[in-house]
Amino acid sequence: MRKELPLAITFVVALIALLSGVVQGPIPGLGVSIGDIYGNYIGKWMTVVSAFALCLASVNLILVHGRAVARKRSQDWIYSAILLGTLVVYALFRTYVELNPADEAARANYSLIYDYILSPLMSGQWACLAFYVGSASYRAFRARNLEATVLLVSAIVVMLGAAPIGSLLWDQFPAIQQWLLNVPSMTGQRALLLGAALGSFSTSLRTLLGIERGHLGGM
Amino acid sequence: MKIIPGNIFGFWLFVVASAVIVYVMNLSEKGKLKVTLRPIAGLDALEEAVGRATEMGRPVHFSPGLGDIIGTSAPDTLAALQILSYVTDLSAKYDARLLVTIRMPNVFPLAQELVRTAYSMANKPQSYKEDTVRYVSSDQDAYAAGVIGLMHQEKVASSILAGLYMGEALLIAESGASLGTMQVAITASITQIPFFVAACDYTIIGEELYAAGAYVSGNKARLGAIAGQDCIKLAVMAIIVLGTIVTSLGSNFVQDLLTK
Repeated sequence: MRKELPLAITFVVALIALLSGVVQGPIPGLGVSIGDIYGNYIGKWMTVVSAFALCLASVNLILVHGRAVARKRSQDWIYSAILLGTLVVYALFRTYVELNPADEAARANYSLIYDYILSPLMSGQWACLAFYVGSASYRAFRARNLEATVLLVSAIVVMLGAAPIGSLLWDQFPAIQQWLLNVPSMTGQRALLLGAALGSFSTSLRTLLGIERGHLGGM
Repeated sequence: MKIIPGNIFGFWLFVVASAVIVYVMNLSEKGKLKVTLRPIAGLDALEEAVGRATEMGRPVHFSPGLGDIIGTSAPDTLAALQILSYVTDLSAKYDARLLVTIRMPNVFPLAQELVRTAYSMANKPQSYKEDTVRYVSSDQDAYAAGVIGLMHQEKVASSILAGLYMGEALLIAESGASLGTMQVAITASITQIPFFVAACDYTIIGEELYAAGAYVSGNKARLGAIAGQDCIKLAVMAIIVLGTIVTSLGSNFVQDLLTK
């Protein structure tokens, strides 16, 4: 029963979600459409369930980092303390802003946290990608075998086609770059996409029918 | 009640494809069809990744990706959770410490229950700790930062990245590579595959993500579903070839049929 009930709910809800996007008009005898059932009931339940899941997740976050601060086993406990402090300040500040919509100063100060703390941190993190692309490319492009050599040559041509210096060196680089992206690369991507779409469909069907139960624990 | 115009072909294709997959699945389950999957090196390497963590006395990290269990990313996340179930079994078997990082709150209780159940089924419920499954953040950037921080703090021996990934894939994978972590990436996210290939030891791509659960479990019904999926793939390939020929001859028959 512990697994059968979730599987039965999955089947019914998934079937309604699936049909709501494909059929229209009222169900004979009921007078409501499947889209209405999905929008008015299932959609709302999904919001409620998500709210509970967020509560559970937040409790886990507080417990894990609270223990790290309490035990102070490694020097990294300070990061857990910063996280918990930020969590409390941000939650209290947001609650105040929501409860006092007329307080423009509070709203403006709340925006400052995002604009001058969170946003620069995110930008800094993403800036690291430029270096990571370089180091990952160095490892991937080493001409160890035929495939890696083809990858290396293709990458050089694509880079030269995209960079202004490429067309100055040879005016055919942009055309070759476009051909590489539109023909061999696109062909491979579409083949992958087709396989992935069918795999996704098959996984959904197995889950809907209750054959795939790995996500409920135990293979 | 009627089918929305534009979805008629899709609806009937769904019905036929479902019938074919269920039929082949039944044949396989009853033993009338023997389905064998080709070896997938990356999935075989999962055991090596967990074994390595045991030998080094360090944890194994598992991420089920950035996807949710609702919406279009659900199949990727469900497939990743099936792999998590297998990795938990391996961790219990080899006594390796498992750390699971979660991005979406909806995935958290599911992953927590899955790992707890898998440890109990392996007769090692004491191996499950409150911090085994950790919610990090639903924000993509914060999640990446949290995972990278955890990898550094815990000095993870192996990292398994399964499911849907976006721009942070290289941030996580390259950080792992710089730590000398053995990394296995399993994803159908086309734009992130090149980054994983460059930064990880093993990369399992495209439909292999969805076949992973069947591959590692060896379950006959699941293997049958993969074979049924291949039958549909052959039919789709036939439609592509037919469409190319018919359109080249000046007819819009296949396009009209698909958009009906």
